[in-house]
Amino acid sequence: MINSFLINSPILASFIITMITVATYQLSARLQQKWQSIWLNPMLITITILVPLLLLVDIDYQEYSKTTQLLNLLLEPAIVALGFPLYQQLRQIKFHWREIMSILALGIAAVISVSFIMAMILIKAPEIAIALSLKSVTTPIGITLTEQLSGDSSITAFAIMVAGLFGGLLGPAWLEFIGVKSAKAQGLAIGSASHVIGTAIMVRVSAEHGAYSSVSLILSALLTALISPWLIPLLQQLFS
Amino acid sequence: MKNVLYTLFAISISLLLGKLANHLLAGLPASLYGMVIYAIFLQLNWFSAKKVSTTNQWLVRHMGVCFVPAGVGIINHFQLIQNHGIALIFIIFSSTFILLTVIGFLSERFLIRSIPADESLSDQAKL
Repeated sequence: MINSFLINSPILASFIITMITVATYQLSARLQQKWQSIWLNPMLITITILVPLLLLVDIDYQEYSKTTQLLNLLLEPAIVALGFPLYQQLRQIKFHWREIMSILALGIAAVISVSFIMAMILIKAPEIAIALSLKSVTTPIGITLTEQLSGDSSITAFAIMVAGLFGGLLGPAWLEFIGVKSAKAQGLAIGSASHVIGTAIMVRVSAEHGAYSSVSLILSALLTALISPWLIPLLQQLFS
Repeated sequence: MKNVLYTLFAISISLLLGKLANHLLAGLPASLYGMVIYAIFLQLNWFSAKKVSTTNQWLVRHMGVCFVPAGVGIINHFQLIQNHGIALIFIIFSSTFILLTVIGFLSERFLIRSIPADESLSDQAKL
């Protein structure tokens, strides 16, 4: 019944489903403002409400994705808007750029190696190991790189989402816990581990967090594209 | 209202140039090129930071909603989780936290060289 409604009146259905998405998001944003709990993150809440809802009324993901095209359309301009906090901190970031590049390069080489080795030991499938080692970048880059290195890109897409959400949600508390308290360090760490999703959470903390997270997101994407094509084949030799 | 349109215009131009950069250079996705171009234009004062500030802040605060459709995409991967189970989640989790820890620690340790006025300000904001 619902599927025939989607097919017969796509514009109305699209409007309603987009409204449900936005309204759930707004409501959870209000709740989070009131109770300040990380688990009330509006992205997380909206996703956990929508997934069972879609399964219940039997709308598949293709349909949902088609009907929420408006939100997808806004994704790119929203990412461009992160250029503003970046501009505000440009002087500081330029001042530190050498340290930032070296730290990120080191972190990325470490995370690629650790994920690859863990996956080879626990799951023993190279295409999954490749996919998992490329999860700390923004989705289009992660998928392209995985396909270039003949990994399984549907796993990359899933891993990127999970790394984004959980790094963004639990990351700040974890960093506080291990004594990493400066906005710069927190921003760089979250931007690198949880890319745009982490950055979307960081900009709500402070402009400085957002700026460092944005710069880390961009540089991590670049560095991963540079490092992975030679590091991953090297790791593969280790297990062949 | 004028400033809202101005901001949207500035962002659209940056995104369009980002698409061009992505087409010519490949490498980064168009939106990330767009972000860098937008920051550079603000720095050069080709776009007025004062005019975009309010609308931009609103956009950035609410950008999370745009990620919801992609996040709901997890629905497509239930089979994947069933096949590889806990191992997959465990690897994603632990390597993400290793990365957070490495970069967090190193940045906290090595980014201390800073412009003093800004540092004291951000410390005060935390208290």
